[in-house]
Order: sequence, then C-alpha cells, then structure tokens
Amino acid sequence: MTDGGTPLGGSHARPDALAKVTGQTRYVGDIALPGMLHAAVAAADVSSARVGSVDTSRALEIPGVEAVMTAQDVPGANLIGVIFPDQPLLVEDRVRMVGDRFAVVAARSPEAAWRSATAVSAQLEPLAGVHDPVEALKAGADAVHDSGNLVHTFRVERGDIKKAEARATVVVEAEYRIGGQEHAYLEPQACLAIPEAGRVTVLASCQCPFYIQQGVARVLGLPLSAVRVEQAPTGGAFGGKEDYPSEPAACAALLAWRTRRPVRLLYPREHDLQATTKRHAMRVHHRWGADRAGRLRFAEVDVLLDAGAYAGLSTVVAERANASAIGPYDVAAVRVRTRVAYTNNLFGGAFRGFGAPQVTWAHEATMDRLARELGLHPVELRRRNVLGERRRVTSTGQRLPAPVMAKACLEKAVAASSAGQPARALPPGRWLHGTGTALVLYGCNLHHGGQHLDRSSAVVILQADGSAVVRVGLTEMGQGNLVAAQTVAATALGIDPVKVEVWQPDTTTVADSGPTVASRGAHASGLAILEAVRRLRRRLDPVAAELLGCEPSQVMLGGDAARVFGEPEQTIAMEQVVQEMVRRRIETIATGWYRSRRRRFDPATGLGSPYEFYAMACHVARVAVDPDLGLVRVEHVAAAHDVGKVLHRDALEGQIQGGIVQAMGWALTEELKLSRGRLLNPGFTDYLIPTSDDAPAISIALLEDAPGSGPFGSKGIGEPSFIPTAAAIRNAVCDAIGAEVDRLPLTPPVIVEAVAARHPFSFLLP
Amino acid sequence: MGSVTVSLVLNGEQRTFEVPAGRRLLDLLRDDAGLTGTKEGCGAGECGACTVLLNGLPVPSCLVLAASCEGADVVTVEGLGGDRPLHPLQRAMVERGGVQCGFCTPGVVTTGAALLEHGITEPLEQGRRLAGNLCRCTGYSKIFEALQAAAREPGDD
Repeated sequence: MTDGGTPLGGSHARPDALAKVTGQTRYVGDIALPGMLHAAVAAADVSSARVGSVDTSRALEIPGVEAVMTAQDVPGANLIGVIFPDQPLLVEDRVRMVGDRFAVVAARSPEAAWRSATAVSAQLEPLAGVHDPVEALKAGADAVHDSGNLVHTFRVERGDIKKAEARATVVVEAEYRIGGQEHAYLEPQACLAIPEAGRVTVLASCQCPFYIQQGVARVLGLPLSAVRVEQAPTGGAFGGKEDYPSEPAACAALLAWRTRRPVRLLYPREHDLQATTKRHAMRVHHRWGADRAGRLRFAEVDVLLDAGAYAGLSTVVAERANASAIGPYDVAAVRVRTRVAYTNNLFGGAFRGFGAPQVTWAHEATMDRLARELGLHPVELRRRNVLGERRRVTSTGQRLPAPVMAKACLEKAVAASSAGQPARALPPGRWLHGTGTALVLYGCNLHHGGQHLDRSSAVVILQADGSAVVRVGLTEMGQGNLVAAQTVAATALGIDPVKVEVWQPDTTTVADSGPTVASRGAHASGLAILEAVRRLRRRLDPVAAELLGCEPSQVMLGGDAARVFGEPEQTIAMEQVVQEMVRRRIETIATGWYRSRRRRFDPATGLGSPYEFYAMACHVARVAVDPDLGLVRVEHVAAAHDVGKVLHRDALEGQIQGGIVQAMGWALTEELKLSRGRLLNPGFTDYLIPTSDDAPAISIALLEDAPGSGPFGSKGIGEPSFIPTAAAIRNAVCDAIGAEVDRLPLTPPVIVEAVAARHPFSFLLP
Repeated sequence: MGSVTVSLVLNGEQRTFEVPAGRRLLDLLRDDAGLTGTKEGCGAGECGACTVLLNGLPVPSCLVLAASCEGADVVTVEGLGGDRPLHPLQRAMVERGGVQCGFCTPGVVTTGAALLEHGITEPLEQGRRLAGNLCRCTGYSKIFEALQAAAREPGDD
C-alpha cells in the first residue's frame, strides 16, 4: 500500500495472475460444450482472382461434417468492414487477398472441419493483381476495388515552407521503406458461438466486444440486443484482436445459427499468421532542413500506407501516422501528406502504436542524418529542437500546457543509458558498438476523427460484505486493465483491492464503450469507475454520516471503513455501512460514464488538437553489431516515460519492458516475406520474435511531473512503450557501422549491404 | 486408425487412457484428462506454450505422441506444486508481475521449474534455456525476476 494507504502506485498481485499461473484460466480453447461443433475456413491461396463458382460438394462428403456455408447462405449482410463496407465475410465474385474465405465449415471434430475446408474448390480466373502501393497508385494499375486504389489522403499544412527553406543551411532527403509486423499473440484467434432461437452468445478472445456485436448482428440480420458478446480471457492482442476477431466470430455465429449448435473456431497458427491483419508497411519520404545553429526550419513528409486488400482500420491508422509524422519537435513550417493505397497484399490493421511507430522511425532517422550533416551529436540536435519548457507548440499548432516533458525524458534516458549495464557478455568476434536515441510524442486516446468512440461505461455494485463488483466495457488482454480498474476502484472506495472483483466485459452488462485501443483502457475504464463511485457516494455518504454522527460532506473512505474528515479515530467498517444501505433498501449499484472532451481540429489542414493531451518518452538503445555477419545484439535500452501518475507499478513496467522487446523484434528480425501477397514465413521458425535469450537489459525512469486527464492524473502507456524503440535501435546500429540504413527490419542482409564498402567480401557484392 | 492403451503417472497419479494411435500428448492431456492448463500456441514445437515435464524433461507436448508415453512420468502446470498449493516459481510469478496475458505462462513456469530443479540459477543460463518458451507480453524481464526470487527461496523438496 502506498499513497496514504491506497493501492495507488503500488504493485499488489494482479487479480488474474493466480488463475493464469496455475492453468485455471479458461481461454476459449479450454471451453467445450455438449454437442459443440468445430469450425474451419476454406481460404484462398491466391491474392487476386475472379471467382466463377464455389463447389462444396466434396467438402460435404467428409465424415463428420454438419454444414458448409458460402456467401449465398448469409442471412443478413455479407459484410464485415469496420469503417468501409468493402469487405465481404465470404467471397462473392472476387478474391482480393490470400485468406479470403470461400466457405466456412462446421464438423464434429477440428480435423474433419479443416479437411473439409481444403476440399472446397473454387473456379478461379487468376488476375495479376497489384502488390506494391506505389504501383497501385499509378494510372492503369489493376483496381483492387471499383472505387480505385487510393483510399484516402490526409494532410498537415502549417507555415511557409519556401520561406523557411531559404533559412535552412542543411537539407536532408531520404526515402524510408518500413516493413510490417505480425502481432504474434501467443493465443491464436478463438471464438465460440452459442445459439438460442432468435439470439446468440459469442465468447471471444478479443479487444473489442462491441465491434464483434455489431459484426455478428449485421451478418445474421439480428438486432444488436439479440447478440451478446462476452470477452473471454484473451491471450495477447496488441491490436491484432481489435478489428479482426469480428471475422472469425461472424463465421462461427453463422454456422451456429445454421446448425443450432454451439460452434467453436480456433485458428491454427499457420492460418492465423497467413490470414490476419498486420502492422502496415509504409514508404516514408522526408525532406527536412535546419539552419547552421541546428534549429529545424522545415519538414516535408510524404507517407504511403499499404492498406492491403481491404480498408479495415487503415484510414484511422493513417490519421495517427499523419498527426505523428514530425514528432516532439518545434518546426515552424510543416507539410505532411499521408496516403492510403489498396493492394492485393495481406491487409493492414491495428497494431500497438497504430501508424506512429513507422513515422517515428522515419523522423528519428532523419534527425540523426541531420545531426551528422551539421556535425552535431544526435542528442545535442534533439536538445536544440525538442518540445520542453520553452517550446510547447506541436506540429499541428496545438499549444501544450506546461510542463512539457519531452526534453526531460531525453535527459533522463540519456543519463540512464550511460549508467546502464548490458545483460550479457558478447560472444567472441568483432563487434562494433553504437548508441541511438529516439523520442515520441504520443497523442493519448483517440484522434479527433474517432472521437465519437472515445467513451466508456462502468458499473459498480457494492456487496453486503463491503466488497465490490466492477464491470467495465474495456478489455483485459494481458496489458493489465483488470488491475488498473481494480486499483482505481479500490482507491476510490477506500477498500482493499482484494475486495474488488473486476469481471471481463460483456455487452449485456455495460453500454458500448468503444474499442480497447489507443492506450486508453485504464484511462477510460478508470474515469467511468470514478464517476460510478461518485454516484454511489451520493447514497452511501449520508448513511455513513448518520452512523458516524457527522455531515455527509465530512465522510472519507479508506482502510475498508468510512471515517470523519479530521477525526481519524472515528470510523465505521465499510461492511456495516453497506449493510445499513441494504437494510434500508438503498440502491447499491451505480453506473458511470466517461467521454473525452470536445476539441478543435480541421481535417483539411490537419491543424488544431488531434488529441486532448500527450505522453512523451525517450528511449536510448545501446547495440553491438557484428558487421561481417550483420548480427545485432541490443545490449541495453534506457526508457524515460512521461506517465502522469503511476497506477500500478508492475503493470506499468511490464508494458514498457514488453513494448521494448516487441519493438526490438520489429526493428531487427520480424520480416514479413511476401510473395504476390502470400506470406512465405507463416511460422515461428522463420518469423522470428524475440526470445528470452535476446532480451536486452532495460532501465526505466518514470516521470510523474505532468498530469494527464486519466484517473489520478495518469496517461496511457501501452503504445508509448513500443513506439520509440525501433528508431533508437536503428540509430544505434547506424552509429555503430557508420552508415545510414533506410529499411526496416535491419536483418543481417540489410546490415551487410549497408557496410558493404568495408566488408571483407565486398568484391563479391553486386 | 487403431487405438492404444497408455498407462502413465500424471501429476503423481497412475492413469490409463485409451486413445487413437496418432493422439498427441497435448490432446491426451487437454481432451482425455481434462487438464486444459497446458496450452496450444502453434502445434509445431515453436512456441513452448504446451511445455510439460516428461520424466523431468521440459518438452513441447504437441510434438510427443501419447502412445510413446507408456510408463512415463508426466507433470503439467496443474501438478507443478506437487503437494504444495503452488510451486515457488508460480508464487514468484504472481508476486513479481511475471504474468500478463497468461497464455505462455503454464509453459514458462514448467520450464522454469525444471531449471530450478536442476540448480540452474544464473540469469544468462536461464535466459538461454528458456528461449524455447516465447512470451510476447512481458519482454521477459519480470519472468527473470521471478526466477531469481524463486531460486532464493529455501528448497522445501
């Protein structure tokens, strides 16, 4: 217990940990019902084709198969797109990407279901398709959709570039090619649909039960009220269970509806890797200029996102990329253009950072390039331009309230890096050492464009023994939302956190709370809980006051008791207060609601306040590079984060440590090898995510000087923890090898190519 | 496919199962014995979520045929503590924040328990030998902390 006897800022055991560590937590795959069928999907293995007919006759002959359904069997709308109605649930006349579904199957065993799925045959007329977003936007390119391949363009236009350029003495230009990433949550996509005449319950591994509710209702043609979605314990998500799970859920619900039996759909890993959304690959072109004193004068950024075959959330991802393109730097003249293009590649979706990591990687690469051109240390160039006490206006013209912590994060991280020790000694060999720095300006919660979703619902029910049940609309997927909600509720009610049970979201217990994304889980659940507790106290405080013999306004809660302000000895147990409420039949349940504040923003110019407030962070990476083999070891990462207020220390640190290591994978090894839209490495043998043997030593500095508008002044951490790492690693590698690398990931061939001139076998290279 | 009879000691208890000859140990545990604590993350021996102790050795149970376990001693996450409610590593994982989404956790604590059982307490050695258990949430830091904390506990075996 810290903070005056509350759990705030402490590290009490997470409420979900004990069940998880003993194997008692029931994920979807651990739940089987009598009569339950197993689903499978028949997926395309080409990325572009016209579809003649789909033949399910052989699939139906497989023993144990109960149903095979195609597009014509969908009772409602055959549509699954979150924002644009561009994605059919089941293929009609076109295949647009590998993984498009011809049919769904339900059978008595998973083996029979998947065997049946492979027996579905489709008559296809292959099309060339388009697999490069630059080609996709050229005149005459194959159109992925009738509307053309340009989905949307976003801009930021601020200041006079021409005038500013005249004052720049150094201009650097670069073209960055930044690859995508697979979420690689340990639990593949999973859902279970349970039909009852006229309505259906879906249990799903997901981030956004309300998205699934909408998707299933549309596909089955049911009112929203007839679709109940309960979030199952979720084995990792990272954005991969934001938009995507509506697809498997709709498939399972469809089959359950047809067969009138529970249907469970578990994705085999290979299908999960091949068919689900990815972090967007981006091309980012930069032209930035600075004057002799090392002050940034202008920045021009052109971003192109490969949306893949369906828009999904790509425009929303692009919106954040667009607003994040300049970073936490003071630049008077800014031009940003962000375009989204359809291709026949796997489709991009939400992934931790949501478009910001790619543009951050680019702006931090350019800062280092500029520093080298100017003969300044990269840290020094950042000091001269970073937002801080004197510079408080962002690239979109938003003036931030003091204190602005980017500069403080920079100094803290640089100091922590110098003091840090590597986790392990290097194996024998020739190693070059380098240090790299990267900053992020993270817009907390949803962008202005998605603000209608920035809301949340909570229910708090006081129990007769003084414990409390809490329901929220935001999900636990490993990040710690349960413990954050528990901490906030326990602090507000003044009771021990073990007496607060937060249950997983269920669409029938709380109102639509929007998605659990944008690092807003603790923020949105916490503020809704605080509102519910405020409402409860309007009823509780008068009862407590009567029992204590004081005024309701004097009632304080803490230590599992109500007490009188200024008279700490005068207390009554919470249990007794609630029992008195029950005896008098006073309502012991309250709802709470949160919505973000309205703000000004002009989508045409990109100017205004895209976000309400910001979290800043700086990561400094130290690496060792074997220039002959192109191997990189990340030895140490120092992370300084502007967190507002710590709610739960272990959960917060866990987000930072996990974010850094996941970003290290993206930076170095996690290459999506696509050939004509098909993933060539759909397995963990050749899609390499970091292991315990790769993890760097990590030092963390938490800055609590600048409160956010989250509960108790907190700010989100899920994404800021990820965003700067890859850029810091890139800059460290470039520092080590003395060459610029403009591609991500920095795989051995990319590094060897970059050091080609000094490589002992350079004469063999083309 | 014919069926086979497999007798083994499962979490300290003598058990006999009649299973199809091609049954994986993972499926015997989850579907026949009802021990769903062991997870399937990839089905290809790449992720470690299905790790169990087979005669004391941590193995991915998705790559082990049930029929090959005749006479074997198998311990799953449910049996890790033995007579105790929790193995010291399980307790340390709870106390040190080593658990996030939890899907890798049964495999991690099972491999970790084997490391401790064999006196492997040096963090780098632990990191090297835990590399078959992928975790996507924690960055491994707090798992290492939990391993260190559990190693410091007085052995009560």
